[in-house]
Amino acid sequence: MPAFNQLNTYLYLAVILFCLGLYGVLSRRNLIAVLISVELMLNAASINFMAFNRFLAPHPAVGQIAALFIMAVAAAEAAIALSIIVALYRKLKSINIEQANELRG
Amino acid sequence: MSVLQFGVELYYLVMALVLFFLTLRREPKAAADHRLAFTLSALGLVVALLCLTQQGELFFRSYRVDLFSQIFKLALALGLFLVLAISRSLPSIAERNHAEFYLFLTTCTIGMMMLVSSVELLTIYVSLELSSYSLYILVPLRRGDDIDVEAGIKYLFFGAVSSCFMLFGLSYIFGATHSTYLTDILARMPELVASPIGVVGLILAMAGFFFKLSIFPFHFWAPDVYQGGAHQVVTFIATASKAAAVALLIRLAVLGAQYGYHFTQILVFLSIISMTLGNLVAIIQKDFKRMLAYSSIAHAGYVLIGVLTLQETGLASSIYYALAYLVMNFTVFMVLTQVAQDGRDLKIAELAGLYHRSPLLSMSLILGIFALAGVPPSIGFTGKLFLFTSAMNQGYFWLVLIGAVNGTLSLYFYLRVVYAAYFVEAKLPPIQLSPPMRALNYALCATILYFGVAPNSIMELARAAVRAVL
Repeated sequence: MPAFNQLNTYLYLAVILFCLGLYGVLSRRNLIAVLISVELMLNAASINFMAFNRFLAPHPAVGQIAALFIMAVAAAEAAIALSIIVALYRKLKSINIEQANELRG
Repeated sequence: MSVLQFGVELYYLVMALVLFFLTLRREPKAAADHRLAFTLSALGLVVALLCLTQQGELFFRSYRVDLFSQIFKLALALGLFLVLAISRSLPSIAERNHAEFYLFLTTCTIGMMMLVSSVELLTIYVSLELSSYSLYILVPLRRGDDIDVEAGIKYLFFGAVSSCFMLFGLSYIFGATHSTYLTDILARMPELVASPIGVVGLILAMAGFFFKLSIFPFHFWAPDVYQGGAHQVVTFIATASKAAAVALLIRLAVLGAQYGYHFTQILVFLSIISMTLGNLVAIIQKDFKRMLAYSSIAHAGYVLIGVLTLQETGLASSIYYALAYLVMNFTVFMVLTQVAQDGRDLKIAELAGLYHRSPLLSMSLILGIFALAGVPPSIGFTGKLFLFTSAMNQGYFWLVLIGAVNGTLSLYFYLRVVYAAYFVEAKLPPIQLSPPMRALNYALCATILYFGVAPNSIMELARAAVRAVL
């Protein structure tokens, strides 16, 4: 299949994934769902790195290392986000973002 | 490679390790912990000073130690030192979390120190996230009402989304230039700016730093986080982390120095919106920290003026202004923590009668506020003068005009604070200051005035730093 061996296919895939993630962040009210959407956006960046690495980069390892780093950092981010979500749940008994709206002005 | 080149970061790593062991204790010893953390941060300041003239490249050229990075490391060390100086009593954070507060402040400092030295995209990303994640944890540490966790959640998700934007942009830059090193990217800059993917990449990549610096359109977190976080944490966010963001913005903006016409247009646009929006919304604020948050959005706009000139003088004025902002903003926050000693949020009206309650604090407040507003002869005025002159020399007449109008606008809400402190009477007990706190007050006042009148030494240092980068 020639489409699977072209850079553009993967770039489009990444853009679609990124936009889906952004849409999720903006539209979902559940904090866990927002977190998942953020992960989607990060993975879109990973796909970009891998695609550029596979088709263009002279040095074949850089993009792969970037993808590995992104995974590790995303894991740390998920840990922090989940712990704050748990803290929020203890106080509000809800993980709906609409409940957290005391700060205004 | 000598160890000294990585000396500052190594020192703070060891400090973080020591503080980590403090967090493991069953029974918290708040006073002893603070003494230890404070002493360590004072030593760190000395180490940063000793390493000021280090030069070299580390870790496969991904980490550059030069005058530019070392000045900012010194500023960051100073920021940490000052914040620990005002956190002897931490009423808004539970006692068993004090050690963690020190630990995460230190890891955040390490992250920002690595940030100002990184010259490789992945290193920039990892160190930026190290500093951000520490702050994400620090903001919800405040005890009491629910607003702290809400502020923490908002900060985390705004931060996560903007770092996604940045990462996506970095991946495009990597794609357009096939390299992650800033020096290689600089060499391929003409192709990068010519290709749409490169321009999109550059703009997206800026998002991460705009978030840190709270520049429009990534400013939404600032007011909520400022209001919801503990005073000391917010002080750190408002001073040290701004300085680090300016440093990296300068490093990246230099990339576009020769080619970036469109790039500058975007920065002009963002600078104008940030200034105007920050100053206008600050006028209607009643909460002191919220007002300071909007003022920080406006100040980010001022700093951008210097960055977008992309010239030695302009960038040097940005460095000067970032350092000045660190001092003057800290002064105001110091007064805030001293007036609200029980850690509650302060309305501007609650500053009433400060002149009678503590003349020294009210003097620091008036100097800090005047410096923020840009009244001579403070560092704030000198900094703004440098920024506006450098932009004027580059022909940005309208930008300077809007900046000056904004400066006048901002006088209104800054003077409201002074009015409350000096001209409104209130029957409240006087505020007691410990002798070290008095000394800190005098030192800050002296710094604001002295470097406002005689800015040349700092300006020369800033110019030398910029030459190391350009």
